[in-house]
Amino acid sequence: MTRAAPWLAAAAAMIAVAFLLKDFGYYSDQYRKLMLWVALALGFNFLFGIAGQVAFSHFAFYGIGAYAVVILTFKAGLPLGVAVVLGLALCAVLAIAVGIAATRLEGFYLALATMAFAQLFLVVLTEGGAVTGGAGGIANYRLPALELGGRRFTLTGPYYTSLIALVLLATFFVFWRLDRSYFGRACRAIRDNPEAAAAMGVDVARTKIVVFTVTSVLAGAAGMAYAFVDNIVNPPVFGLENVFLLLFMVIIGGSGRHAGAVVGAILLYMLPYVLTPLIGHHQALVFGIVMVAAMLFRPDGLVGVYDRLRARYGRGAA
Amino acid sequence: MSDILELLVSAASSGCIYGLVALSYLVMIRPTGIINFAVGEWAAVGLFAAFFLLTNRWLPLPYALALIAAVAFTGLIGWGTQRIAVRPLVEKGAPILGPILALLGMLAIFRESISLIFGPDPHNLPAPFGLRQVSLGPFAGTPRDFFIIGCTAAVFVGVWLFFERTVWGKAFEAVALNRKAAALMGINLRRVTVAAFVGGAAIAGFAGVLYSLTAPRDFLMGLPLAVQGFSALVVGGVGRVEGAILGGMILALAEQLTARYADQIGIPSGMSLGVPFLLMIVFLLARPTGLLRPKEAAA
Repeated sequence: MTRAAPWLAAAAAMIAVAFLLKDFGYYSDQYRKLMLWVALALGFNFLFGIAGQVAFSHFAFYGIGAYAVVILTFKAGLPLGVAVVLGLALCAVLAIAVGIAATRLEGFYLALATMAFAQLFLVVLTEGGAVTGGAGGIANYRLPALELGGRRFTLTGPYYTSLIALVLLATFFVFWRLDRSYFGRACRAIRDNPEAAAAMGVDVARTKIVVFTVTSVLAGAAGMAYAFVDNIVNPPVFGLENVFLLLFMVIIGGSGRHAGAVVGAILLYMLPYVLTPLIGHHQALVFGIVMVAAMLFRPDGLVGVYDRLRARYGRGAA
Repeated sequence: MSDILELLVSAASSGCIYGLVALSYLVMIRPTGIINFAVGEWAAVGLFAAFFLLTNRWLPLPYALALIAAVAFTGLIGWGTQRIAVRPLVEKGAPILGPILALLGMLAIFRESISLIFGPDPHNLPAPFGLRQVSLGPFAGTPRDFFIIGCTAAVFVGVWLFFERTVWGKAFEAVALNRKAAALMGINLRRVTVAAFVGGAAIAGFAGVLYSLTAPRDFLMGLPLAVQGFSALVVGGVGRVEGAILGGMILALAEQLTARYADQIGIPSGMSLGVPFLLMIVFLLARPTGLLRPKEAAA
């Protein structure tokens, strides 16, 4: 009971916000997207910050999830539940294939190979003709009605926002549990020293493939939730710019820490609202400066700054 | 037949640009191990600097002088980049990924600065010798194609001579082979790093200038060019200067053949955009050393 309480409280709070915003369409929309960014950042943090893999394919899997659910539901005419399961399976199969290939690559070469994969995905989307809708993507679809116990209902407005909140919490829960397990410790060991980890009996290749698959499938799940936020999927949303932004979020927030991913994602998502009146649409300039500053002065990010302040002035100082 | 020969000339000229970008990476990777993705942004800096020097109201420079000044300016930017984002991290003993990620931050800074100064519209340099078709033996092309090929050949010969014939080039090789031993032999690692970044930036800036001769380019040109250049580098191999140009040529030829002939076998010609990525994946997985093997260290 006590262990479930914080999770239930978080779910209640996030759902409450969803209902508070239900009459403010714009803010409700932003809230949904913010939650999806946080979910993506948590996954990217696990992959990059905890397991030490620099993979630029995270947004491609987000896109694969989104496109898969739309194509399977509206082009192939499958029921939504089947489409979701098949889409997740597709993400898993692709992630395992990429992950197995990627175990042969180290450091930034992994980043480049996954980036090439992500860009190839975009080219396929753009040239996919009728199946993917080409450069314009697929639009004009709506979340189909669900049937439960003979009653049909559609998740709209705050109910759909609540669903996204639950997806985010489930993502967080999976990564939180994984991090505190043997598996999470194995990941950190591989990040810090793969040879030593192997010598201690960690199966390096298998752990790397599993990490890549789990994070990619959860990115795909977030992508499925995204598909019904704007009710349009098109290639630019899943481009390389966004995965750089994800990297900046995790590093500025504090890589290797769940709190860092959450703080970084919220900060960089909200920052443009403050910056646009000041410098127009050049927020990326500020992101770049903050990113370089973080790498130079505080590689452990904002969470590291907080830890320091608490160590100096907080209860732990005595 | 003349169709194929024309395609060869145009592939060779874009292959030259990819080759130059690949060479820019190579000059930095050999001694430092740092893959600098900001090379595309440096190319944009070179292009926009040349554009500004040629067309500004106050002191428009003659063509050749403007190009040289723009390349020199990009070299200076390269020095600044390494001073800010590379040297402090290397001296702190950060893992090699540190500078690579910091350089991604610099990439965003460069790109947004260019868009802030020059706006989002595409710019191009006036073609130096007009656009009429000229023939060189059986090969036909525009003068700018031959200009690009000639300039690239000169740069590659220069860099090859630098690596093979000068003490500085030998110092680069020594650092590439064994950093610690090279430092113990009295090679100044800091100076080699500075030289690598200044040289790499100047080469990238020159590539950017040549790149804009083929079509107008906007501030977003950097990243795609950086990806194509890296793909060329992976195909050719990071070990040898010749690899960069070989990779560039193979990549450009593959791209142009796909663009021209793919739809005849039922593949949309837009798939040629995917060629660099496909080549990169295949070579990274199947032949990570590239086509040319690095030379063995002399005993």
